[in-house]
Amino acid sequence: MDLFLIAAAVAGFYVAWNIGANDAANSMATSYGSRALTLKQIVIIASVLEFTGAVLFGKKVTHTVAKGIVPIELLDHNLVVYGALAALLSAGFWITISTYYNLPISTTHSIVGAMLGFGLAAVSQNHLTIEQIKWGVLAKVVLSWIVSPLLGAALAFVAFSLIRFILLYRYASESVEHVFRYLQVLTACYMAFAHGSNDVANATGPIAAILGYSGTVPFWVLFFGGLGIAIGIATWGYRVIETVGRQITELTFTRGFSAEFATATTVLLASNFGMPVSTTHTLVGSVIGVGLAGGLASVNLKIVQKIIFSWIVTVPVAAAMTISLYTVMVVFI
Amino acid sequence: MKFFRSVGEVFGYSPFRSLAQHARMCSWAVGLLQQQFEALRKGNYEEVEGLREEIDELEHHADQIKEEIRGNVTKSLMLPVDRHDLLEFLKVQDDILNNCEHVGHMVTFRKVKASEDVWEEFSVLLSKLMEIVNNYEEMVERIMHLVETSFSKKEVNKALEYVPIIEQLEHECDLIQIGLHTKLFNLENADPLDVQLMVTWVVHLGYVANAAARASDRFRIMILGR
Repeated sequence: MDLFLIAAAVAGFYVAWNIGANDAANSMATSYGSRALTLKQIVIIASVLEFTGAVLFGKKVTHTVAKGIVPIELLDHNLVVYGALAALLSAGFWITISTYYNLPISTTHSIVGAMLGFGLAAVSQNHLTIEQIKWGVLAKVVLSWIVSPLLGAALAFVAFSLIRFILLYRYASESVEHVFRYLQVLTACYMAFAHGSNDVANATGPIAAILGYSGTVPFWVLFFGGLGIAIGIATWGYRVIETVGRQITELTFTRGFSAEFATATTVLLASNFGMPVSTTHTLVGSVIGVGLAGGLASVNLKIVQKIIFSWIVTVPVAAAMTISLYTVMVVFI
Repeated sequence: MKFFRSVGEVFGYSPFRSLAQHARMCSWAVGLLQQQFEALRKGNYEEVEGLREEIDELEHHADQIKEEIRGNVTKSLMLPVDRHDLLEFLKVQDDILNNCEHVGHMVTFRKVKASEDVWEEFSVLLSKLMEIVNNYEEMVERIMHLVETSFSKKEVNKALEYVPIIEQLEHECDLIQIGLHTKLFNLENADPLDVQLMVTWVVHLGYVANAAARASDRFRIMILGR
């Protein structure tokens, strides 16, 4: 049993590290792309606020991932340990593969798909009935995946349109941009906080389940997840911020502000409802929203196809991997 | 090690900096033509030939920029202007350079002998052309600012103020051309081949002015057609 706990801690830490290294880094790269902050400042802000968001606001989403989809209270604890560990390992593996091949997948979708796989495996072994899987919650989660990029786009559209009609059309663009440089520092913090509050659950949800989750997430689990994210940012994320930031040169302070404000608001709202959403996909939606409001020189809509494709692939693949791993564990251990 | 996923892809290729660069090349080309005519006047044929090469190179480089824009402005890009308007504008802007290149070649066809006052008229025509392309370049360079301010009305008006100026200058250029044609056809004791070639120069220099005026019109259509 101890061995499983250690394995879960390692796998959970790896997922958290990955969230910091890639997802957190991507959401912070907009602040680097517009040069609102230096790389060092971003790394510090991101690490501190991702951690704070995770610890203070990570509970609800962790709850959804831990027992929102699979009714773990109905299962033997050993099976929950196998299942959640299999889910963490599969999600971690899938994230690694897609990151290596540069696919815009979502950590959130991977872990939700993996937890669903665990539930289905339990059903196939008659530990649960198919009706006991919480399809209603799953439907809400999937709906939130569709709504969050759209809401991000809508909010960003409104935010940038207001800036455009009220400020850019009246005052010199240089002075408007200058003011938004400072405001973008605030949205960068907001973004890191929101991201931490939502994405931490991808690591802490399964860990909480393994620890015999009954309704309250132990503080130190969120602490562990938040720490993993912060370490991910500091040890690898900074390189991703630099690389992605270099691709985002068209983003000025007003545009960066609009996209970050829209994304962070959407994601924090989702955290409040306990919905695990993808921050990266919401950010892409928000950037498109700024583009629709006439704020960008060029938006590449091809990425929308890629994201939809990654949705369709991620959930079944993560689920299938979890089913196989879980079955292996149940049969051989 | 490329262990990363990126949202950077959502930011597509932006053609505006390259469009402005292409416009800048148009006025460089006319600048080179102006130097070429000065060299002709002095009978410095080596320099004329060297400048022809320079114009050729410039046109070739501009063609690469044009190809880059055409190759990247795909249907999946969401731009703040209409894609067809942009490509049409680029095509007409490219005509400015093409015509410069033609003239650059035509002046090397034959060692034309002409009187000082004919050369003086050519110099006036080229100064007018230079004035046109300078205004044109300034106008197109405003595109970066237009994108930055999301095409604020004030900035759009500022940029489009150039269009009537360019049209007026093009009209003045027409008048100079008419004067020069009349002069050339009434030269006494001139070699008919010289006259023939010089008339062709005038016609093609007119095409340069014309292309600039048409391109500024396409620019306006692109800006207003959002």
